[in-house]
Amino acid sequence: MQKSKRISRRQMLKCSAKAVAAFTIVPRHVLGGAGHTPPSETFGGALIGCGGRGNGTFNDMGLNARKLAICDVKFLDKEDNQTVYTDYRRVLERKDIDVVAIATPPHWHALISIAAMEAGKDVLCEKPMTRFIAEGRAVAEAEKRYKRIFQVGTFGRFDVSRNPQNILTHKIMKSGLLKECKAVHIKRGGLKVKEWSGMVNVKPQPIPTYLDWDMYCGPAPLRPFHPHRFGGSHRGYWDYEGGGLADMGQHHFDPIQWIFAKDDTSPVEVEAYAPPAHPEACGMWGWVELKYADGLTFVMDSTEWPVPGKPSYDRKEPRDVSLSDLSEQDQEKIKQMPDPEPLVNFAEAVKTRKRAGGNADAAHRSATILHLANIAIRVGRKIKYDPVKDQIIGDEEANRLVNQPMRAPWHL
Amino acid sequence: MAKKRQDIATLVNKLPDPDEHGLLSVIDKEVVENVIDELRRGGPVRQAQGQLRSLRALIDMLAVPGEGEDFNPPDVRRIKARYAIHVWAVKVCQNAEKDRRLFATTLASQLGGDRPKPVQEFLIQQLQVAGHQEVVPALGKLLCDDELCDAAAMALVAIGTGAAEQLRAALPKAKGRCRLIILQNLGVVRDHGAIDALREAAHDQDRENRVAAIWALANIGDSQSVDLLLEAADKSQGWERIKATKACLLLAENLMTAGKKTEAKKIYSHLADTRTGHEQYIREAAESPPPPKGGG
Repeated sequence: MQKSKRISRRQMLKCSAKAVAAFTIVPRHVLGGAGHTPPSETFGGALIGCGGRGNGTFNDMGLNARKLAICDVKFLDKEDNQTVYTDYRRVLERKDIDVVAIATPPHWHALISIAAMEAGKDVLCEKPMTRFIAEGRAVAEAEKRYKRIFQVGTFGRFDVSRNPQNILTHKIMKSGLLKECKAVHIKRGGLKVKEWSGMVNVKPQPIPTYLDWDMYCGPAPLRPFHPHRFGGSHRGYWDYEGGGLADMGQHHFDPIQWIFAKDDTSPVEVEAYAPPAHPEACGMWGWVELKYADGLTFVMDSTEWPVPGKPSYDRKEPRDVSLSDLSEQDQEKIKQMPDPEPLVNFAEAVKTRKRAGGNADAAHRSATILHLANIAIRVGRKIKYDPVKDQIIGDEEANRLVNQPMRAPWHL
Repeated sequence: MAKKRQDIATLVNKLPDPDEHGLLSVIDKEVVENVIDELRRGGPVRQAQGQLRSLRALIDMLAVPGEGEDFNPPDVRRIKARYAIHVWAVKVCQNAEKDRRLFATTLASQLGGDRPKPVQEFLIQQLQVAGHQEVVPALGKLLCDDELCDAAAMALVAIGTGAAEQLRAALPKAKGRCRLIILQNLGVVRDHGAIDALREAAHDQDRENRVAAIWALANIGDSQSVDLLLEAADKSQGWERIKATKACLLLAENLMTAGKKTEAKKIYSHLADTRTGHEQYIREAAESPPPPKGGG
């Protein structure tokens, strides 16, 4: 029963022409329309990670998805393995689930996204997409291997990609006509540095009876339980995320990455101004400067350190890209260029099997911006990055943060 | 010696205190760097082997998380010694090979003894930051320690060079969770020398061990394991089937990259012929696989 239903839905979505042809002979409640939802557009959904963002992420899918399963490591006292789970693997075994919303802490994002696609599900995953760089490449490989839909849970690029000025900048950058880019984008504030720092004096506490702490830690080291490592404030620990920079950064830089047409590459030089980092707790930093191979520069200025409320980056001024940066001949070429295709949202991507606008490759690149910034903060030295190999050049120890070992049985 | 240790403690205590929320929100970069530089010079009393002595004094200060109240001020043991050792670990990775080696071998020399396991675990994690091949044997000895095998394996695979030999040597003695960790990480480091042991483990009674061994064989790209992996995928159900099928696709991709097209095509053909219904996406994946990595 499940098999035939699923095949029918997929086939129906692929064959819209047939559906249109059938319109005249099939009752309205079957095909949908105002007040009616056709079975072919009803999806079995699961929410994995039921904290503060859980329901919002599920709704962000924009689909008519029935929530058949919810899963969280804090459901030990109410799991029934029918609709309420603590182990996402049991959710993914279900054949009636088509789409999965993931709103766990980020150290689980990549592993669950990959596993969901291995199980044939489409995925909407909260930002930040990953905890470290190699995870992003692995998610992108899974997306291609299984031909599933992946969309990261930040949507600013959809808005900016409709703005004529942004489209012009995108076309200039995409054209490759600008040989040396002098543009500087500075993001001042908004990265919640202190708010999402970690505690350095946590004392172990008893694990709550409702919580599967081992499963919570998952691929990260199994630390003693402390409530600050869990339930939102997890953001302040390298084990689970990367502070406010990692948590807010993808919101800020994913749209900018689209505007500057950098979905297929990453910065090549990264430098940070910060005090020496703590081994476990994310902490204060002043600024990070990231340069692409063509000269384009992104800057994050925390405005929280060393002096709270004051910017600390003074190397460069913000600068845009404009047509006047090009010769008259090249300006004409830009005017002749077609606009980029509109970005496809998650719901449309699931239905049409077109790639989502915030797909795994693009999301991997915008997450890499954040991870490189955090690596520069953590190692306290300038790093050079190879965006093709996804490796830091000539710095073995820094590279260990690009692809971090996982605690078994978890691995990429 | 006691005077020396107190001097080191006084120096370490200059590191920033956590604020009322436990955060290092008020932190002076120069103060931290000066303290660490001073420690690396041997502390206030600059003696022969000063660097080594101050590092050992710092290690002696390390407390098990939640303990360390027996020292005045307590934050030195509970918090600041950890922070100092980590900053030291990061610093010696920057154009200071002689210092890095001294740091790594000193930490490694403290493993396997009487120090509390959580303290040893912290030292291992700092070796994951700054250790190289010189600490690999010391880490290898911990691979059968129930409390330390996780950390030791993570440090070993981060270091890379020499890890495979340690993992392979430890496998026959390893039990329980340590065995799982070793099986998985033999795949992570792509140890061809472990293929026979992994094939045997692919039939293990424990599901996690089977899944780890099958993935390891796929990640290594063992062309002789094609039938074994296909059989594992065909026979299993649920999560194990999902992971075994993934291992088949991964092995096929690795074989294509290695130019072993016949073996790869056998996997793709089998999956395309046998996966229907809710596994149709596997059939589609097998029918149009991604191009080989590196264009091979």
